[in-house]
Amino acid sequence: MAKGIAKLQTIDRRWIFLLIALGTLIPIVLPIGFPVTITPPVKSIYDLIETFGPGDVVILSYDYGPTTGAENDPMADAILRHCFSRDVKVVALALYPLGGLTSLSNSLNRVTAEFPELEYGVDYVNLGYKDGGQASMKLLADDFAKAFPGDTNGRPLAEIPLMQQIKGAREAKLAVSIATGIIGEWWANLINAQFGLPVAVGCTAVSAPKYYAYLEAKQMIGLIGGLKGASEYERMVKEGYPATREAYANPLLQTASKGMDAQTIDHLIVIAFIVIGNIAYFASRRGKGQA
Amino acid sequence: MPAYAFIGTWVAALLTLFLMSFLYKDNPFFRFAEALFAGVSLGYYIGITLDQTLRPNLLEPLAQNGVTPTNFHLLFAGLLGLNLYTRYIPRIAWLARLSLAVYVGYYVGINMVQKLQGEVLPQSAATMVDLTGGGNGALAAFNAVVVFVGVISVLIYFFFSLPHDGVVGRVSRLGIWFLMLGFGAAFGYTVMGRVSLLIGRFNFLVIDWIGGTMRALGGG
Repeated sequence: MAKGIAKLQTIDRRWIFLLIALGTLIPIVLPIGFPVTITPPVKSIYDLIETFGPGDVVILSYDYGPTTGAENDPMADAILRHCFSRDVKVVALALYPLGGLTSLSNSLNRVTAEFPELEYGVDYVNLGYKDGGQASMKLLADDFAKAFPGDTNGRPLAEIPLMQQIKGAREAKLAVSIATGIIGEWWANLINAQFGLPVAVGCTAVSAPKYYAYLEAKQMIGLIGGLKGASEYERMVKEGYPATREAYANPLLQTASKGMDAQTIDHLIVIAFIVIGNIAYFASRRGKGQA
Repeated sequence: MPAYAFIGTWVAALLTLFLMSFLYKDNPFFRFAEALFAGVSLGYYIGITLDQTLRPNLLEPLAQNGVTPTNFHLLFAGLLGLNLYTRYIPRIAWLARLSLAVYVGYYVGINMVQKLQGEVLPQSAATMVDLTGGGNGALAAFNAVVVFVGVISVLIYFFFSLPHDGVVGRVSRLGIWFLMLGFGAAFGYTVMGRVSLLIGRFNFLVIDWIGGTMRALGGG
């Protein structure tokens, strides 16, 4: 019997690929609706924005591209819906090349369509992409106009009403960086450390472990880690603002909550194969010992 | 759905399936999609750099205003960038090292203060915790002890000036356990990240490709 179990070590990996594919596809087609538990790092961002009121300004930095859109888009959209539901103004910008061209524009178009009462230039502004990384961040901390002479359409900042309200990033109430890599760290260890602006980061799951060091050191007020974090934020926004439920109920909208069904199934499959692999390994060792 | 969007969706879906076909076996469709992806990515990135970086920051200011005392530094920066390409001319390849020196020096300078002020000092301070939990209960005290023991043991593991025998050996062994737990957590997050990307692709195939095609054919 030990030899039979040991053979499990040589399962063709394509069976594993097929099971993972089915575990991902079936929940997309037939949503299950697993419950989502809220964790403190995500809740702290939500709670802070809950203290903001009409006229307060949040900076939302799209520091990711389409390659990580599956994880980062739901976070950015949820933050936008939360801010717009509370009449909080949003200054959107991108420090990642593809962030300004695609992710920022698509996200703003998607969410502002749900809030037709919003006016561009008054309630939100799209500053587009700025190259230069940390150098640009230092400039925009004091004066947006030094880093962004105009918005993404070339309109001078002096002509945009919202930008008369806030000269530099340090005057905002919060900076949220939706990041795919190192740029979120720059917001924490440059903007927060040198200028004292509260920073929150929404990052991919791959990057999340390193961001916990900044969270524990209080350099960030919160962290949205991966699709799980995005689903938590979505749940809080849906529960706090019933008007957003219609948008989230749209079957064509790719939300983190729907994605977590597939995540859960896939993780259970991975755990099952890890257990099977370990059983097979120890069985093969026993088999060799008996031989 | 506009025709160009319909065609674009189908091209993206077919390329996605070509790439995924590698999971069964290597094949010409996968190789075609892989080569196309590499080439398009590089070309697109060059276009982005020219349009989003060089044009607004270097070419337009110099073209609109010429070289003036307030923007001559742009010319200097542009020449430094061009100087990097002397690398390909053997007789003057050494000139490229000047540009590299400026590039490396700039990043060392900007990161030195940032790393110290933004990472080393705050995160070192965050490990100096009240081991009694600061009055926040037993769980906070336990967490503080775990952080303290973990940081010290991992640092001792990476201290190779002492042989890892006796007490030092046992503490560094504990450090290895903490490292393994950390790597395990990171691996778990990595699995979640990769599955998220798969979910994104499957969402595209189901909702945008199959669903979009059915809606388009149904007159939607």
